[in-house]
Amino acid sequence: MNLERIPNEEKLSLCRRYYLGGFAFLPFLWLVNVLWFFREAFLKPTYTEQPQIKSYVKKSAVGLTVWVAVLTTWITIFQHFRAQWGEVGDYLSFTIPLGTA
Amino acid sequence: MKDLISINCVKLLIPALFYTCVCSSSVEQKIYVELNQTVPCVRLLNATHQIGCQSSMSGDTGVLHVLETESDLDWILSSGPHPPYMVILETSFFNRSVMMRMKNSSRVAGVAVIVSKTGLADNFSPHTTCPNQNTGVYSENYGPDLANCNVTVWNPFGNGLSYEDFAFPVFALKDENQTQVIRKCYEDHNQRVNGSAPQYPLCAMQLFSHMHAVTDTVTCMRRTDLQNRFSINPEVLCDPLSDFNVWTSTRPLNNSAKGHAADESVVIAATRLDGRSFFWEQAPAAEGTVSGIVTLLAAIQALYPVTQEAPPTRNIFFSFFQGEAFDYIGSSKMVYDMKRNDFVIDLDNVHSMLEIGQVGLHSGRSLWMHSDPISRQNNSVDTEVSEMMDRMRSAAAGLKLTVDHPSVSQPLPPSSFQRFLRERQIPGLVLTDHNTSFINRYYESMYDDAENLNVTYPPGLTPDEQLVYETDAAKSLAEVATLVARSLYVQAGGNESNLNNITADPKTVAQLLYGFVIQKNNSWFRSLLPPEVTKKGVNSILSSGPPQFYIGLGPRVHGPAHSVTRFVQYILANLTGSVTNLTESQCQNPSELSTENKDLFSYFWVSGPASVNSTSEPFCVRASVRLSKAVSPAFELLEYGSRNYSTWTESRWKSIRARIFLVASRELEMLTLGVGVAVLLLSLLVTYFISSKAELLFSSARETPTTTY
Repeated sequence: MNLERIPNEEKLSLCRRYYLGGFAFLPFLWLVNVLWFFREAFLKPTYTEQPQIKSYVKKSAVGLTVWVAVLTTWITIFQHFRAQWGEVGDYLSFTIPLGTA
Repeated sequence: MKDLISINCVKLLIPALFYTCVCSSSVEQKIYVELNQTVPCVRLLNATHQIGCQSSMSGDTGVLHVLETESDLDWILSSGPHPPYMVILETSFFNRSVMMRMKNSSRVAGVAVIVSKTGLADNFSPHTTCPNQNTGVYSENYGPDLANCNVTVWNPFGNGLSYEDFAFPVFALKDENQTQVIRKCYEDHNQRVNGSAPQYPLCAMQLFSHMHAVTDTVTCMRRTDLQNRFSINPEVLCDPLSDFNVWTSTRPLNNSAKGHAADESVVIAATRLDGRSFFWEQAPAAEGTVSGIVTLLAAIQALYPVTQEAPPTRNIFFSFFQGEAFDYIGSSKMVYDMKRNDFVIDLDNVHSMLEIGQVGLHSGRSLWMHSDPISRQNNSVDTEVSEMMDRMRSAAAGLKLTVDHPSVSQPLPPSSFQRFLRERQIPGLVLTDHNTSFINRYYESMYDDAENLNVTYPPGLTPDEQLVYETDAAKSLAEVATLVARSLYVQAGGNESNLNNITADPKTVAQLLYGFVIQKNNSWFRSLLPPEVTKKGVNSILSSGPPQFYIGLGPRVHGPAHSVTRFVQYILANLTGSVTNLTESQCQNPSELSTENKDLFSYFWVSGPASVNSTSEPFCVRASVRLSKAVSPAFELLEYGSRNYSTWTESRWKSIRARIFLVASRELEMLTLGVGVAVLLLSLLVTYFISSKAELLFSSARETPTTTY
């Protein structure tokens, strides 16, 4: 939807909903929040609701960075060590590649 | 006029499109030459290791190079400018040192071995020097100084190639015409001219043999279980090696009564049914296996009539064990069933055991009886074994053979008898043609064929004449069979006056040898087998050539039973059974008839002999021949990492094929890609420009004035 045509209060509530929704293990909502409301929060001239939108966008960005860091670390460790973990590695996997360890 | 031309154009275009769509595969045929007559090496796994070969999922490609001299090996491993190479190995270079050097190199994409007799070394055995050393009877607890071939190295020519793990595919080229095609491609494009490197385009080969299983049987079975439980599309990764043992007895045993058989004292006569080689499903196993099978079958035929007329005191139990090459699959299963009272007899019923090992190459020398020195420390066992040897010696005295016991205190050679000894100290002997190490120079290899067993026919005979021609090998094996039969009869308590009636028939031995090492699709085998087998198409068990003795994956994957198992089963039915006049439906369900006993006998509907004028008349044969499952107890106990039982499995795969084609240099490939990408970008640019300046470019075509209302 085009944010130009929505009144500011609705923008604020949308941003808040996306921010709160991201706590349900949904970091992509935070990513959408950051990308979508970035222009609204930082590049538009000031309006009443903007400070709150700005804070939500900043908090979403922090949450997103934490998630990205955790996931990257775990994925790297898993991809590297899965073969050596033997049984544990197999139980943690959803699909196991054929023919390689 | 214009319309007519356009209609004709359309009419021409549609069939042209149709033609190209239908024949579109012709482009692929112009590029690739498929190689059909190749045999791969596959991956096998046991409790701790994986052996065999593996390719990448989309095949391994390499520039062809024929390895004929040592300088070729250096070219491939270090100096050649177009790695990775696909090595075409001449027969003389297929040995351990060359293969291990290639295994450690990253410049080898795969190996194709030319299988032929020219250039074949004097000996070649890819098996280990000490077969089945961890699953025999000798261990730290039982004869530790005899274990691990400390006293006698049974297979001194063994180079252990079959038990190595290769990260590249290895294929065997068996067809001479196909090898010529490959050589021609190599000579046309890859030949080095005056020592300089050949120029692109070069001839390359791609081998596909991607195996699904990894690491070991424990991992593979665990992953298969996980797939079956949690995946939407479960995939089995490996299958245990399994098939059937064949057994029969002189007095019928009640098949439904398991456990100890009352008042039965049994002499077991056993041999093995299988073999293996480096490549998948290739195992001619002539001296290693066929010599034993043919000897025991001929001995059974010689013994059977006499045991019906003048029955000896004890029953004689004949058993053909499948899977002995892979840590004694068949014999360990039978012993396991006997221990658990799940078989028609148990270990208390067993009086003694005689096993026939490799007996084909004694050629006028003596035969050897091997016994276990550890169990002979027990006096009663020692007395019985000595008596067995004396009976054998006296039986041999009447024939032109000599049998002897090895003078040194020596362990038993690898044999199924060792698995029986693990459970109970039974007196027994293993009869072989070798005193210490094997005489067989091609043990468990592709070259253990008719020529290795000295089965050769004079030229100019038709197949039917060859079938009944008595070669020297047939006569020699017939003598061994007579010796075995007479010894068994006396061992079972028979009267020695009947011994002269027990003689093996050299004609039967000749027919058996012909069927098992030369051609299995012969008139005698066809007459023994059921009609539906003899009438089937290309994939029936009666295809051309000798049978292969690899155990395979058994009934779940490959149909009823392995071809060799069925042959032995039906041959035994023919040699020991009696003809009945049951109809086909009665033969399938004999329990409905009161005169027939399904517990004591099996009923087989066989084709019968076919003559030139008439087709065969099938009939029903009643015999006391049975099959018993030969799968390792480790898979029933779900102990996939077992140290006591065989844990061999064979990996599954999707496709195995090979093809050759010409490849261009890497630079040309990159150039083509670069040009393509450049054309794409250019076309995008041009389209953008044209669309943005569209009014300017195409305004002259428009003349319609804007109408105003």
